[in-house]
Amino acid sequence: MKRAHRKTHLILWLILGPAIFAIIALAVLQRPAAPINHALPGPLIEEAS
Amino acid sequence: MSHDYKSVQWTPFKKRFDLWMLGGIAMYLVGFISITYLTQPDGDSFTPIQALMRATGTLAFLLLTFILCIGPLARITDRFKPFLYNRRHLGVTTFLIALVHAALVVLWYHGFADINPLVSVFISNPRYDSLSGFPFEVLGVGALLIMFLMAATSHDFWNANLGPGFWKALHMGVYVAYALLIAHIALGAIQFEKSPIYVVLLASGGTIVAALHIATGLASFGGAKKPEQDGWLIVARTGEMEDGRAKIIKPQSGEAIAVFLDGDKISAVSNVCRHQGGPLGEGKIVDGCITCPWHGFQYRMEDGQSPPPFTEKIATYATRIVDGTIYVNPEPNAPGTPQAPSHIGATT
Repeated sequence: MKRAHRKTHLILWLILGPAIFAIIALAVLQRPAAPINHALPGPLIEEAS
Repeated sequence: MSHDYKSVQWTPFKKRFDLWMLGGIAMYLVGFISITYLTQPDGDSFTPIQALMRATGTLAFLLLTFILCIGPLARITDRFKPFLYNRRHLGVTTFLIALVHAALVVLWYHGFADINPLVSVFISNPRYDSLSGFPFEVLGVGALLIMFLMAATSHDFWNANLGPGFWKALHMGVYVAYALLIAHIALGAIQFEKSPIYVVLLASGGTIVAALHIATGLASFGGAKKPEQDGWLIVARTGEMEDGRAKIIKPQSGEAIAVFLDGDKISAVSNVCRHQGGPLGEGKIVDGCITCPWHGFQYRMEDGQSPPPFTEKIATYATRIVDGTIYVNPEPNAPGTPQAPSHIGATT
């Protein structure tokens, strides 16, 4: 890769790497004790349960 | 490497690779669905559509994780070079699998809504202020759109028309797509799947990809050579060169230089392939030509030009051998300029 692309690539990963780590950590910490799917449309959850 | 338009640039090797790939995908899907049914806890009842949805979703994530590991791993070991050569087919296939996953989700969860199913994806869950209830499907849509852009412009036609620089910058969007995919799974499946295997897969995949890219990115800026008094750079002792292979030299400014040994001849060219910026110095000499490890683009050692009918040109560099030490002049010649090689054993 050209020097400019290598630089962009590195900067991008220095931002994305910690962001990926943070989102996984937050998602695991926020995980409900009894996981349910809040994000799916409400009527479907009610129907399923 | 092709000088005319072909919809798919298949070679016998690529055809074999694609057959293996399709076989592996079929085995994964059948295996995943079978295991889902066999290990299903009492009280749960998966439909075949839901099982296929999970199978395609996990497969798309695993394939994209593997694709993003290929580049850095190919720098560490030659074993990954064949995957590098076939990465585009793997990428387009991953997009198609993700598309099947998305289509199943839209049909299954939004297809029976009173509003347009595609609109329903965006408005059925407005909890954008919640982490565990975040509308994670929107993040998946974002990743899918980027992957579509990648797949649609993956052909060399677009590389040639957009220009290698812009094309490369555009295709770095796949990293953003991967981050969106991680967020899609973290705020989706991780919030409602009971099995810890999803957490383990996501955390290990994201960590491995990020660590590999950051490590190889940092390494690519290290090891710049200081010039000698006359401005030339030391490459290596002649005995340290491997026939048909190159040493990559990084000047303090400008692009890296690939110094090749072919028999007793030493020649130096730019390390950057004209096609997609592939690292020529990690390739080898095939049929007398320097061959890019990414897609097989070739250049003659003596002038940096692709053999006819191809027209690509890269910069050449002057070399010399003094007392068994190879030197290269970091000032590039114009692309395609003939440059006489240095001969090992010849008097300098």
